[in-house]
Amino acid sequence: MNAQRAIAIWLALAALAGIVFVAALTLGSVSVPPLRALGALAHPGTAGADTIDEIVRSLRLPRALAGFGCGALLALAGALLQVLLRNPLAEPYVLGVSGGAAVFAIAALLAGAAWWLVDAAAFAGALFTIALVLGFARRALARGEPQEASPRLLLTGVVLATGWGAGVTLLLTLAPDERLRGILFWLAGDLNGVASPWPALAALALALAAAASVAPQLNVLARGEAVAFALGVNAGQLRLRIYLVASLATAAAVTTAGTIGFVGLVVPHALRLAFGNDQRMLVPASALAGGLFVMSADLLARTVAAPAQLPVGVITALFGVPVFLWMLARRSR
Amino acid sequence: MTSARMVVSTLAAYEIALDAGERVLLADFTQTFGAGELWCVAGPNGAGKTTLLSTLAGLVPPARGHVALDGVPIGDWRPGELAKRRALMPQNMHDAFSATVFDIVLLNRFPYLGGWGWETERDRAAAHAALDALALAQLAARDVRSLSGGERQRVALAAALCQDAPLLLLDEPLAHLDLRHQIDCLTLLAHWARESPRTVIFSCHDLNLARRFATHALLMPGDGTAHAGPVRDVLTPELASRVFGYPLVLIEADGHEALVPALRRPERESPEP
Repeated sequence: MNAQRAIAIWLALAALAGIVFVAALTLGSVSVPPLRALGALAHPGTAGADTIDEIVRSLRLPRALAGFGCGALLALAGALLQVLLRNPLAEPYVLGVSGGAAVFAIAALLAGAAWWLVDAAAFAGALFTIALVLGFARRALARGEPQEASPRLLLTGVVLATGWGAGVTLLLTLAPDERLRGILFWLAGDLNGVASPWPALAALALALAAAASVAPQLNVLARGEAVAFALGVNAGQLRLRIYLVASLATAAAVTTAGTIGFVGLVVPHALRLAFGNDQRMLVPASALAGGLFVMSADLLARTVAAPAQLPVGVITALFGVPVFLWMLARRSR
Repeated sequence: MTSARMVVSTLAAYEIALDAGERVLLADFTQTFGAGELWCVAGPNGAGKTTLLSTLAGLVPPARGHVALDGVPIGDWRPGELAKRRALMPQNMHDAFSATVFDIVLLNRFPYLGGWGWETERDRAAAHAALDALALAQLAARDVRSLSGGERQRVALAAALCQDAPLLLLDEPLAHLDLRHQIDCLTLLAHWARESPRTVIFSCHDLNLARRFATHALLMPGDGTAHAGPVRDVLTPELASRVFGYPLVLIEADGHEALVPALRRPERESPEP
């Protein structure tokens, strides 16, 4: 891997994302020609805006951007956690962040709270879980010892996630029937009715900057703590940093669109299988590919069964599982 | 060794002590490790060889006393600068992700990365040179997780060499190696210590190979004491028998020497205090 190759990979992924972005503005119950769709974006707020402008600007644009932002956040978080835990099975939800968000958000949904209160509750639940994990595993996470601290961190997170899972089940059994559908969509991950894509995109910019600037150090950490210390990397500080970046990225994604599954686990792996495990390439590429993946899945989710809309999380999994299994089988041959 | 000198490092331990829980493994140990010296650290299991290497590398502070590199306390070095001056090869590498042998070796150029954090041609050349030095060139594209234990060990050694530091600390570099590779490895280390010159400290269980290749030895019983000095003054049958708790005899034939375990254990002595 060298810089030229990494840039070529990023440009290719960005170009694909651009194509899907235009398609997302164009396709749907009302078909809009691509140039017309871009024109609607080019002159925001001009007089004489018609229904088509309105559809593109206030329905399709925020949804496409939110899809890109959430997918990018989740894939980035997955890539970071796989290095942090030195475990290829790690994904953004394994340390309980999404579970905490789900319990709080469902409680708010059951209380009939306004949408912004549900979002606020989800974010609070995620932060609460991050605080719990830090409280129980802070020493294992940050202590500068040349030995593996991951099992303790992983166990803490997994046990918390299990606890939150039980909480979700409990709330579901208590929930009145008419609210179940909304809860189900939240749990599956749904971009319908996202209020604004900007918080997710702002979180993405921050998380990407914080992660990409330590990507060379992540390469060292991925080989183990003893190697990291020998090469002059402060493993404790780095681990704390990537835990916080990954968890806050997950929290931002879950708050925006519920628990979209599968992206965070599989996108970094697919990139690794295709292009190798150099974090300098992988961290930005995960963000681009994750965004591309969820934006594409959401395009399918709202068009394949139109006028019915499917939760995007179902599409990411239904579409992603066979593709990933195929990649894995091809690679191991 | 007065030829064109590169950076030369002097490592010194001042009255250091190493503890393992309640036990004192080493106490009041003062020693200078000079350039051009190849040190073998020997001692029974659990005597603290790995702890000593970690302490000398600056990964963990000693319980008492201090370690200095070039006169500066090792804890005061900036981590990035320290990594250019001392390389450490840890024991037991665990590879969680697949990676090519070349990438594993190249990773040890990390202390020299500048700007955007990408390697230059010079770094790649150093990695190729390190692979060549250990006859690993034809494995460069292999996945490390498909290597045998001995091959993996040589890759770790190549990575440590690639770091190009004047002080090299190696935790059991001969583990898993067959006899020929053990000798190749020690020949390379001896050459490395003599040229430049550099300081090399490695832990090892083979006293005969140590006597043949090392210039100095440090014998640690793990009871707080230590014997350090020129290899033939330290790895003697008397001292080694005492430290390992089993009688050893020195056999000589045709100018060759070997420390071997005595055939029959003499009358059981009282255990060492």
